[in-house]
Amino acid sequence: MNAAPLGHDIGIGIAGLSQFMPMYLLLDAAGHVVSAGPTLLRVLEGQEVIGARFHDLFEVRSPGGAVTVAEVLDRAGQRFRLAPCHRPRIGLRGLGMRLPGEEGVLLNLTFGIDLVSAVRDFGLTDADFAATDLAMELLYLAEANASVTRELRGLNLRLEGARMAAEEEAMTDPLTGLRNRRAADLFLERMCSARVPFGLLQMDLDFFKAVNDTLGHAAGDFVLESVGRILREQVRAEDCVARIGGDEFVIVLPNTIDPQTLQAVAGRIIAQVSEPLEFAGNLCRVSASIGIVRSVDRLSPDAPQLMAAADRALYAAKHAGRSQAVLLVTDGS
Amino acid sequence: MGSDMDALMLRSLQGYVRDTFGPQIWQAICCHAALSVETFEPMLRYDPGMADRVASHAADVLGRPVETVWEDMGTYLVTNPRHEGVRRLLRFGGSSFADFLHSLEEMPGRARLAMPDLVLPMVTLREIGPDQFEVQCQSRLKGMLRVLVGMLTAMADDYGTLCLIDPDAGDCISVRILDSFHGSGRRFDLALPEK
Repeated sequence: MNAAPLGHDIGIGIAGLSQFMPMYLLLDAAGHVVSAGPTLLRVLEGQEVIGARFHDLFEVRSPGGAVTVAEVLDRAGQRFRLAPCHRPRIGLRGLGMRLPGEEGVLLNLTFGIDLVSAVRDFGLTDADFAATDLAMELLYLAEANASVTRELRGLNLRLEGARMAAEEEAMTDPLTGLRNRRAADLFLERMCSARVPFGLLQMDLDFFKAVNDTLGHAAGDFVLESVGRILREQVRAEDCVARIGGDEFVIVLPNTIDPQTLQAVAGRIIAQVSEPLEFAGNLCRVSASIGIVRSVDRLSPDAPQLMAAADRALYAAKHAGRSQAVLLVTDGS
Repeated sequence: MGSDMDALMLRSLQGYVRDTFGPQIWQAICCHAALSVETFEPMLRYDPGMADRVASHAADVLGRPVETVWEDMGTYLVTNPRHEGVRRLLRFGGSSFADFLHSLEEMPGRARLAMPDLVLPMVTLREIGPDQFEVQCQSRLKGMLRVLVGMLTAMADDYGTLCLIDPDAGDCISVRILDSFHGSGRRFDLALPEK
């Protein structure tokens, strides 16, 4: 034993090297592999490693243009990136240096960002990494992050579902299941601002108060529910049917402006609503008056104006003797 | 957006009761506790102490001590396939059960890596003798120690280790490893298969 200062020349041997750097690669001066760490051997499994030339095992990604290990060290200084020829998907990062005296080269490799795929592809375990390697922490973090993201995505979906349900509820008339006043106003505003031509029907039940007064509120509710069902059956999916007050309803029919068609829809509704209904052994008789206006009859249609005009049309229908529909083309306002 | 221990414990309790006893029992517990909601979100915040309060109602409805409820929930978190992620994150702690015990002290740090504002209870490990440990768990939640007991028991099984795990009266759990290679344990691949 000579008395060189500790650390001057550390001889830890191949076994020690394997423990400290399980992905080391030792090459002779001609660039042939002398030995390799156990984890690197797993990566190169199926290849004839010992004695092979560096550039037959690895493809150099950077420095660009370098092929042999000598070129790598000359151009890159000490850092470089490689991929095994037989597994180009797995990128490796490395550090290398020429060994003094012996004319050999020592490289130490690591997976870098391709760690997760490498661990999966080669079935690596924590015994394949040096105790000082942060590989386990990186794998842990990748999974922890994925779980947190999954949780957040789940939370977002659940909140979105709750929001949609709340919105639906806020737009629905609970008794009839039709839209409510707020929904009808929003629908009208949307139609007006998008300049979609539409017909607007405002309907009021005739003799409804009599049913309520003589047969009670339960009978009244029954009538309203029945009218709701009739209206739903008479319109298309893209139409908006709303109950906007006690016995007042509004129907918006996008892209329907033909006067005959609008009158026909109103006529069918009036005919059906006028059919007597039986409730708890009593016959409930109501009818309906409908006022009709069209967005195209105004220069610049706006929702409150159209509703007011429809209201006037409805008033005219009531005056004309009920159970009628009146289309108001212009009323001077 | 962050999480706290009450939220995590409530969400876990909800999962444990619903998966083990059925949704009706969970409903009954929420009703018993006079809760306005029946669903807890792990990423939201709840009143401090709410988890312990709901658990005591769960104990009433299930007719067993609250300690047992928490312990069984801890075991459920590690063993239920729906929470495979929990088992996996814990297994990253080490290649043997003893290694895993040592990693418990790192747990708050590990959790912070994924969720910077999540504060996990502080765990300290004392090595009393060969294969004999004392795990100290300091938490504002009364149930935390028992949850840890349940999780440790399930993890010992996962590693195939035979051991005695006993909570003492305070905030410590004594762990005695009798046989590190008692069973084959469950397989653990470092990377999940590619989807």
